[in-house]
Amino acid sequence: MRRFLDRLYDAAGYLAAFFIFAIFASMLATTTMRELGMRTGGWEDIVSWLTAAAAFLGLAHTFRFGDMVRVELLLSKMSPPRRRIFEIACLLIGSVFMAYLAYSATAYVYQSWLGGDVAGGLLVVPIWIPQASFVIGSWLFFIALVDELINVLRGDRPVYVRAAEERHARGDFSEDV
Amino acid sequence: MNVVEIGGILLILMMLLLSGGVWIAMSLAMIGWVGMTFFTSKSAEQISQTLFSALWESNASWELAALPMFIWMGEILFRTRLSEQMFEGLSPWLNRIPGRLMHTTILGCGIFGSVSGSSAATTATIAKVALPELLRRGYDERMALGSLATAGTLGILIPPSITMVVYAVAADASIIRIFLAGFIPGFILMALFSGYIVWWSIRHPDKVPAADADLSFAEKLRRSGSLIPCTLLIVFIVWVLIAGWATATECAAYGVLGSLLIAASSRSLNWQNFRDSLMGATRVSCMIMFILAGAAFLTKTMAFTGIPRALAEWVASLALSPIALIAVLAVLYIILGTALDGISMIVLTAAVVLPMIQQAGIDLIWFGIFIVLLVEIAEVTPPVGFNLFVLQNMTGKDSNTIARAALPFFGCLVVLIGLISVFPSLVTWFPDYVMGVAK
Repeated sequence: MRRFLDRLYDAAGYLAAFFIFAIFASMLATTTMRELGMRTGGWEDIVSWLTAAAAFLGLAHTFRFGDMVRVELLLSKMSPPRRRIFEIACLLIGSVFMAYLAYSATAYVYQSWLGGDVAGGLLVVPIWIPQASFVIGSWLFFIALVDELINVLRGDRPVYVRAAEERHARGDFSEDV
Repeated sequence: MNVVEIGGILLILMMLLLSGGVWIAMSLAMIGWVGMTFFTSKSAEQISQTLFSALWESNASWELAALPMFIWMGEILFRTRLSEQMFEGLSPWLNRIPGRLMHTTILGCGIFGSVSGSSAATTATIAKVALPELLRRGYDERMALGSLATAGTLGILIPPSITMVVYAVAADASIIRIFLAGFIPGFILMALFSGYIVWWSIRHPDKVPAADADLSFAEKLRRSGSLIPCTLLIVFIVWVLIAGWATATECAAYGVLGSLLIAASSRSLNWQNFRDSLMGATRVSCMIMFILAGAAFLTKTMAFTGIPRALAEWVASLALSPIALIAVLAVLYIILGTALDGISMIVLTAAVVLPMIQQAGIDLIWFGIFIVLLVEIAEVTPPVGFNLFVLQNMTGKDSNTIARAALPFFGCLVVLIGLISVFPSLVTWFPDYVMGVAK
């Protein structure tokens, strides 16, 4: 189960990375095509969907990596037992909220699927196709939060804390803005 | 219940969630939900629909696609030999200036800042090379640490800048204008930093080690050859932009292309580095875009409750002079900056502060630079200045020691804020000159 979940989060993360690479490739392609006098209508929509898909699909992976920012001013000064209680509360609040968000997204996208809504831009595509990334990404993030909640309840230190500590110990600050 | 009470309740709730450690993006969206559920007449179904569309629309944006590109560019360059090359290329020329190699920190950060959009990455990259070199030659550690901590923040003032992209998206302002507006303040800041180093070195001649053996002019030029890749990259991006080949959003992709070429030419482009840089960029973008999404929903709630409008009118009724308003906001941001990172700070306040700014007739581009400077200040002030944290991790020095070392350079930042407040055209002249005066 552990292996399966880890692979699931990472797979979605790799997919998100692939979409970012796709943004790069399509920007190079469209600017070149424009110079050559070719029409590039509709590509802007595709790039914007790729951006959203990268953002949503990467959530679970980013969260586990400790890259999701939060205020650590108080947390870092707490004793380990007290910090554990706060981590549990944060994970609980986060899980409830993500369940609500994922449910909202699912309900809304399901309706637009039933209604056969199409995107408003130049491309005539059923809008649920790009929006599916939102649904999948937010459910994955919800699963990752619950997964971590269970681990911390069992007594582990949160994986996102460990990951960030290891990265900083290596002197790697490339992921801090 | 009136607007003040609603605003107060939401503010307290937000402080509770944030200080308790709930992830910022989620806290913002949750406050949005509370505001909409309890203080507007919307049904539960309308709220969940608004939540969905606010999050989707904020992330499914063509403009926002520049963000992962600029981040990826920095991630690639972080993994090349660029900073070593910069040190090699710059150092032969600085022997005769008071302060000598100490200026490599300022120039290095300035040049790296013009290809990177993050101040933590700029600090870490330049410090990795310059700090051991300076200490080995016997330069004053305090000055080296202070100048690195503060000059690293040039990463977000000199374009490209992740912080500026986030501000432009939050304020619905032109990315390219804000980028252009950053150049002149960036140069002034570098001059102030270097000026301070010169002044300090003249006063403490005993603390500046002797110059390295002087090289022949030809040898100096040859060494500077290592600056070529970086210069080419900057020229390349600007050329793509000015030639009209690409828009500001698209030129970010050319930045990535150029960075990949630099990495390939210095033989640091392998599959491992490529994958690490792309995954790193994915995570950072994902984190920032989630904050933007959460804030987009909060902004909608704010608009429904009428808090920003009421606040803007209240501030207008006080008839503060723009300078007084700016001073109040500066204090507010410095306080926020003690606990929040720069991006969260901008996104969190955009919904409330920007209407106020526009009402007061302050230019949005100017305000963008002003906020970036305050974020820079926040990065070198304890308890959570991120650049202090970076250097603390790299050197093992206590972050308060580093903060004290950074104090004079911090003063330079304050001087610059004063300068642009008194002479706003320092910021607005260059974008207006290049792009024509904004309508």
